Amino acid sequence: MTIIKVAAVLIVVMALVIAIVPQFTDCQSQGRAIELANGKTVAMKCHWTATAELALAIPIAAVGILLGFSRRKESMRNLSILGIVLGAVAILVPTTLIGVCASPDMLCNSVMRPLLILMGVLLVVISVISLIASRRITEQPA
Amino acid sequence: MSLGRLAWRNISGSSFRSAVVFLCALVVAGLALSTVLILRGARDSLRLAMDRLGADIIVVPQGSESKVESALLMGVPTSASMGRETVAKIAAIPGVAAVSPQLYLSSLSNASCCSVPEMLMVAYDPQTDFTLRPWLQKNLPGGLKLGEAIGGTYVFVPKGEQNIKLYGYFVTLKGNLEPTGTNLDRTMFFTFDTARDMARISQTLAEKPLAYTPNIISSVLVKVAPGENAHDVAVQIFKDVPGVTPIESPNLFLAFRKQITGLLGAMLAVLAITTVLSLVLVGLVFSMAANERRREMGVLRALGGTRNFVFRILLAEAALLALAGAVPGLLLAAFSVYLFRSLIVRSIGVPFLYPSPLALLALILGGVILALAGVTLAASLPAYRISRLDAAVAMRE
Repeated sequence: MTIIKVAAVLIVVMALVIAIVPQFTDCQSQGRAIELANGKTVAMKCHWTATAELALAIPIAAVGILLGFSRRKESMRNLSILGIVLGAVAILVPTTLIGVCASPDMLCNSVMRPLLILMGVLLVVISVISLIASRRITEQPA
Repeated sequence: MSLGRLAWRNISGSSFRSAVVFLCALVVAGLALSTVLILRGARDSLRLAMDRLGADIIVVPQGSESKVESALLMGVPTSASMGRETVAKIAAIPGVAAVSPQLYLSSLSNASCCSVPEMLMVAYDPQTDFTLRPWLQKNLPGGLKLGEAIGGTYVFVPKGEQNIKLYGYFVTLKGNLEPTGTNLDRTMFFTFDTARDMARISQTLAEKPLAYTPNIISSVLVKVAPGENAHDVAVQIFKDVPGVTPIESPNLFLAFRKQITGLLGAMLAVLAITTVLSLVLVGLVFSMAANERRREMGVLRALGGTRNFVFRILLAEAALLALAGAVPGLLLAAFSVYLFRSLIVRSIGVPFLYPSPLALLALILGGVILALAGVTLAASLPAYRISRLDAAVAMRE
């Protein structure tokens, strides 16, 4: 049970990192944008990745909170599986689904992308550990 | 019940103590591997960059030594230039076996006439070159023709295109060199003829013409004749050729090496402090646990467990916790250093090369052994003390 509680806290912390850090490391936050011929500016794709990760962080935090309060084995198992899926999506958004800017010198490429991959991988690993731990616990009465 | 199973039960029974030892092992192992990866990677990177240049002496315009080194290692654009007549003057110096000029150019960033991000471009003379020749002879026996280039390991043709567009000029990428971890991996090499042709085309097709002036070069690579002293030749070049600075190969990237030495000291100090504090903490935790568990150990002794058995149980607990902490710590460190490598290069100001999978595995194994040895050593004294206690005394207290 302790492992599940620790995993729940870690998942909530990771959700906060996934939500907050990209907002300060995308190119928009550094004052960079694509300038069109008509003078208007358009946000670079790393900004949309940061927005998508913010949206993704909400269900991740919910998984962490619910995991911390759940007492039923089945709920823990299902939440852990959901954690694995959300972790995989957190990795796919900056790598495949949307991506970040191409230049390796940009903050979104050197900080945001690796951080989101790391958080995604950790989320998957912690969810797997919590899935294994949930199989071993004896159910507590509600 | 086996020794390992009993140790595991004891670990599960005391989550706080186990968590402290686990975290200590995780932090020490992870920090040690990160330090080794960064320092070893920086050293390997500089060595490979020097091998790639392959010259005994590099002659650069006076005052531009650090600019040229920064251009080659970190990709900082440079405007180092000197007259081509310098090549003949250096070649005439006794002890010089071969000389070859190079010109450093830079591509344009965010320009429609360039299909790649800003990169260093090196024009070389195929008649005299001796640095790229070994690679070319092995991979491209015909050498590079007009409009052809070879690139560092990270130079590639953009998706959906057949050539690389530079200043409106189409360059055919003929191959990639092995990685060095430095900016040479993002550098493109082509002949002076290609540079001249690119400059011609850039006059009409580029947003900004290529800054190419005939008979201007950025550096001269010098190979010293066998048996000659490179230092003496360098001194002679300094005396005979005005306006240039010869940099001997061992002194190349000296500023970066000094930076690595400074970094080494700081990182080793942090590592040493963390390791000592962690080991003291592990020893303290085991010492407290040993006092708390006197009765438990007394019962074990009364049930027939020998002193050696009690000692081994405690050491097995320490070893299991060390292993459980070290393995994720090492994997996390290896993965993090890999992911954040470009940020690390920018932050510490020196390039670094990630090790090969086999070398990384060896380093991880070394880290596991280090963590196992450290934690079991810290736990051995309290374990020895409690195992020496008389069973009756231990149970009574």
